[in-house]
Amino acid sequence: MRLALLFMAGIVAAGAQTLSRKIELPPDSPVTLVSADWGESSATARGGAFLLDVHAGLSLRNSSQRRIRGVTLAVLAQEVTPGGKGSVSVPSLDVAPGDTFPLRIDLPLLRPLGAGTGPLVEVKLDGVLFDDLSFYGPDKLHSQRTMTVWELEARRDRQYFKKLLEQAGQEGLKQEMLASLGRQDDRQQPGVQMVRGRTTNTEPEREVRFAFVQFPEAPIESQDGLARVAGNEARAPRIDVRNRSDRAIRYLEIGWIVKDQQGREFLAASMPADLNLAPGRSSQVVQDAALRFSQRTVIQSMTGFVSHAEFADGSYWIPSRAALADAKLRGVIAPSPEEQRLAQIYRKKGLGALVEELKKF
Amino acid sequence: MRTHTSETVLALYVSGDLAWWRRAAVRLHVGRCDRCRRRIEWHRTDLARIREAAAWMPEGVDWNRLASEMTANIHVGLAAGECVAPRPRKSIAVGWRPVAVAAGVAVVLVGAWWLNTPPVLTHSLGRGGMRPALTEDRRPVVEATESGIELRENGSSLGVSQGTARPVAVSVNVQGSASARYVDADTGQMTITSVYVQ
Repeated sequence: MRLALLFMAGIVAAGAQTLSRKIELPPDSPVTLVSADWGESSATARGGAFLLDVHAGLSLRNSSQRRIRGVTLAVLAQEVTPGGKGSVSVPSLDVAPGDTFPLRIDLPLLRPLGAGTGPLVEVKLDGVLFDDLSFYGPDKLHSQRTMTVWELEARRDRQYFKKLLEQAGQEGLKQEMLASLGRQDDRQQPGVQMVRGRTTNTEPEREVRFAFVQFPEAPIESQDGLARVAGNEARAPRIDVRNRSDRAIRYLEIGWIVKDQQGREFLAASMPADLNLAPGRSSQVVQDAALRFSQRTVIQSMTGFVSHAEFADGSYWIPSRAALADAKLRGVIAPSPEEQRLAQIYRKKGLGALVEELKKF
Repeated sequence: MRTHTSETVLALYVSGDLAWWRRAAVRLHVGRCDRCRRRIEWHRTDLARIREAAAWMPEGVDWNRLASEMTANIHVGLAAGECVAPRPRKSIAVGWRPVAVAAGVAVVLVGAWWLNTPPVLTHSLGRGGMRPALTEDRRPVVEATESGIELRENGSSLGVSQGTARPVAVSVNVQGSASARYVDADTGQMTITSVYVQ
């Protein structure tokens, strides 16, 4: 009996590992670390890998001379291993020079047992976005593009709500917030898996053509598109696009909406594409990826829409709120992070707190 | 349209097996219904034939002797059944010590699991039992559900969670990542967490 207890205690001791961690900020970083609390982080051996359960609360200071709008940190256990890389972004910030702000990391990561000396997690700065849309950082996770789009969406939505407050007063703002919260609550998000490459589905495939929601203001026109569909899986989407603007386009993202057999529509995924598309030219967006839904889902039809684009000169196009009011899109796509943040402020703290928030910047 | 009495009720009426009030009702109906009356006659004829057949006995049968033989055979059958009936099993006395040892080992195992398993994995396992099954794939897969995002590989999963908070939105990027948006209830700060499959 005593031997058994000692044996089990040994197993317990062997499974738990101390998690080594490192926060790496460049010497000229516009943010500096004030404090880090790694209280609940742990590392556990699982098969041939460490499972790192990273929970950290960081406090960062804006040590630059500009206001910070967004920060992205890369959290790495093993950069080249699937599951070894994650990121945490905080958009919709307004941090003045010298001010501190919190950043919460909650990520599970994998690290192969043979990689290095033990369980180790590294936190690195991937990018900082300032209020003049300038950017600092290595941008290995393309956080400049992502955070810039979030910031442009935030400006568009803040402007909309401010104008609404001016024109319709607090009652108008309240009604709009209630409508936004209603849409967010009604929006469906069935489970979806994404796997790169071909799937192992043995059901017969059929080609399903995309329908498109076209924005007249968009610089890109989606002309035709197909994906191979078998039951609850859709793979290998390819979409023909044409640049109808007078500027070259180097990046675009297409939203992929799926309709199931019950007529429910939901945003399944986004399809990014790096391009070099001169004005008036066409190209094809192709992705070697598959989406898989729950086994009860049968894909009936698909719709695509251009969610944003980046021009070769570094400027961006995002849809206007009027364009997003399209009946098909309104209940399907998520609002911007800023609209969701403002709606949560209204929900948790009330209309007065929301009005004060809109007055800040 | 006239409703006729069912064949079953008519047969029971003829054999005298109906309750008195049903019998009265059938009699009343039969008095006005030729069809049912004819059927009652057929049932009576059939009943008489059955009774006649049942009353027939072969020539020279001694009924009393036949009854004694049948009774004796039944007794023999019962005695034989007693001989082949399973013996009552002798119960094995189980001491309290092995039970206590087994309980102790179980406590240690549960404790080891509890101490070693990160809350996020336990949370993922719990969620796995509730959600509609998505087909397993041996390759790295990112998954987004209303509860959050997960990275799956070789049948095991790593879920992203922020305590009990639910994400306000999740999304999947076909280049190999999934993201979840969380809003801090106190500060209102938005945090977007992403995992990458490649």
